[in-house]
Amino acid sequence: MSEASKNNLVIEARGLVKRFGQEILAVDGVDLAIEANTIYALLGPNGAGKTTPIIMLTTLLEPTEGSAKVAGFDVVMQANDVRKTIGVTFQETTLDKELTGRQALNYHARLYGMSKDQRQAKITELLVLVELEDAADRAISTYSGGMKRRLELIRGLMTDPNVLFLDEPTLGLDPQSRARIGDYIVELKVNRGMSVLLTTHYMDEAEQLSDKVAIIDHGKILIEGRPSELVDQMGADVITIAGQGNRDDFIEKVNDLSCCETITTGNGIIQIGVDSGSRRLVEIISLANERGFTVEDISVAKPSLGDVFLKYTGRQFRD
Amino acid sequence: MSAAVTLWSKHMVKSIHNQMEMTGMLIQPILWVVLFGVGMGSLLGPSMPGGEDIYITFMLPGIIALTASGGAIAGGSTWLNERLQGIVKEYLAAPIPRLSILMGNALSTVSKGLIQSLIILIVGIIVGANITSNPLGWMGGLVLVAGFTLGFAGIALSMASSTDNMGAYHSMIMLLNLPLLFLSNALYPLETMPTWMRIGALINPTTYVVTGLRYMLLENGAEFAKVDTIPLWLCFVAITIFTALGMWLASSAFKKSLK
Ligand SMILES: Nc1ncnc2c1ncn2[C@@H]1O[C@H](COP(=O)(O)OP(=O)(O)OP(=O)(O)O)[C@@H](O)[C@H]1O
Ligand SMILES: [Mg+2]
Repeated sequence: MSEASKNNLVIEARGLVKRFGQEILAVDGVDLAIEANTIYALLGPNGAGKTTPIIMLTTLLEPTEGSAKVAGFDVVMQANDVRKTIGVTFQETTLDKELTGRQALNYHARLYGMSKDQRQAKITELLVLVELEDAADRAISTYSGGMKRRLELIRGLMTDPNVLFLDEPTLGLDPQSRARIGDYIVELKVNRGMSVLLTTHYMDEAEQLSDKVAIIDHGKILIEGRPSELVDQMGADVITIAGQGNRDDFIEKVNDLSCCETITTGNGIIQIGVDSGSRRLVEIISLANERGFTVEDISVAKPSLGDVFLKYTGRQFRD
Repeated sequence: MSAAVTLWSKHMVKSIHNQMEMTGMLIQPILWVVLFGVGMGSLLGPSMPGGEDIYITFMLPGIIALTASGGAIAGGSTWLNERLQGIVKEYLAAPIPRLSILMGNALSTVSKGLIQSLIILIVGIIVGANITSNPLGWMGGLVLVAGFTLGFAGIALSMASSTDNMGAYHSMIMLLNLPLLFLSNALYPLETMPTWMRIGALINPTTYVVTGLRYMLLENGAEFAKVDTIPLWLCFVAITIFTALGMWLASSAFKKSLK
């Protein structure tokens, strides 16, 4: 890698490993190379190891092995420099519910050494953004889940960070708020040059927002790429089949067909990426009958990131 | 340092807005003085040379020490609460010295302890304790209280960093708190104790804060204090060591919890 492109990396991780005790291997050798001014999404089922890398990159825990840099600073040796340049929204709430929303934002900014005028201007701007002006002077304990989430999100933006970490930022938000937050994340990238590393449970969100996604499971990155690239790998259409019978034989025969680009078997569901769904449907059903596999449900659809996810993790996204 | 002040101010603002906490904080020392001091005074006072008022005067430093340790325990549970609720993550991600996170908590604990000590002294004066009017005595006394509170707060913070269970924290700290109060000269003079208790009392920081407070705060305090044959300078040395020990315990337990 040339020096120029290397300097353009805002997050670099090499062989990142995190163990908890002897038993649990939460992160198992993760490499990351995230370019500045991009949105990067980590996708994976529950417990896959999405949060733990974020915890290490945001300097809360030191890696067991490996190293990482954020904005050019080492997360262990130069932790304080990393902290100055990042904003974080953790997956689980870190709000002090006895404070009012305004107090929470104000104290947060004070910890980062912002002046009073800066703080007030920023607080007003951000409260309007997520429509919390009216609730700003109420105790956070009286907020709904979505209101807390929105508050926590803008708290991470108080300090105009260069690099933003968002661990499931839109969890628990209604579709309208999600869309709004999504637009804003893109705006942060486009207009303010921020770089964003996020995790999400919403495939459509990952597909729309992110420049790159990585699918992670059992602490390892299984595949990484632009969402469109990953989806294209699946073929033009995806045929999804549920059924019973001589499964293995059927799958083997499908694999032999030249039209079929991918086979996935997870949760008893068979997915076949094909060049043209409408043309191959009949062919595949008759092959199933021939091989003694009873089709109970079959559908044809354009492939999505969800199908990619299923292919690599063997699990439906909502597992 | 400014981060510690920010966290200190956050804790203070929260406490002031919490009516229940405020009421408890203000009423509790008054109850101690009135119920315990006056009650015990009328019971034990007649047996002491000088009568009831003498016992209240004798007792007051002990009540201050007790209230200070209660405040330190509350400071520890504030810290544990912040850990359990994830609030500490916000501090950890911020560009502030790790130690200032603990300092913010310790500072607010000490501030509250000092406010409570002042209330105790004022109520003590009202119910007839002989408190000095020498401002240096008050200053010295408050320094001792601050040091003792910090030391105890350090122990409480170290325990609160080592467990994730509020019940466990409280039962552990109560185990410590009881002998700290009763195995000292707070309630009765050292000379009245059996030898094993006296040895216990002599390694107990409470004894030194109580003796020091008697020297500094009471009218004719030296009369009270000297029965225990502990010189004033030793009180300050012992409390300084205790403060340092507490802070060291707190910071090493905190660092361990970050691994
Ligand atoms: N503090 C911890 N102590 C012990 N094990 C942990 C700890 N944190 C995470 N783990 C384990 O590490 C693995 C990865 O956890 P992590 O929180 O990174 O997953 P995740 O992908 O964020 O999951 P989710 O989608 O549920 O948030 C899990 O098996 C989890 O049980
Ligand atoms: Mg997670």
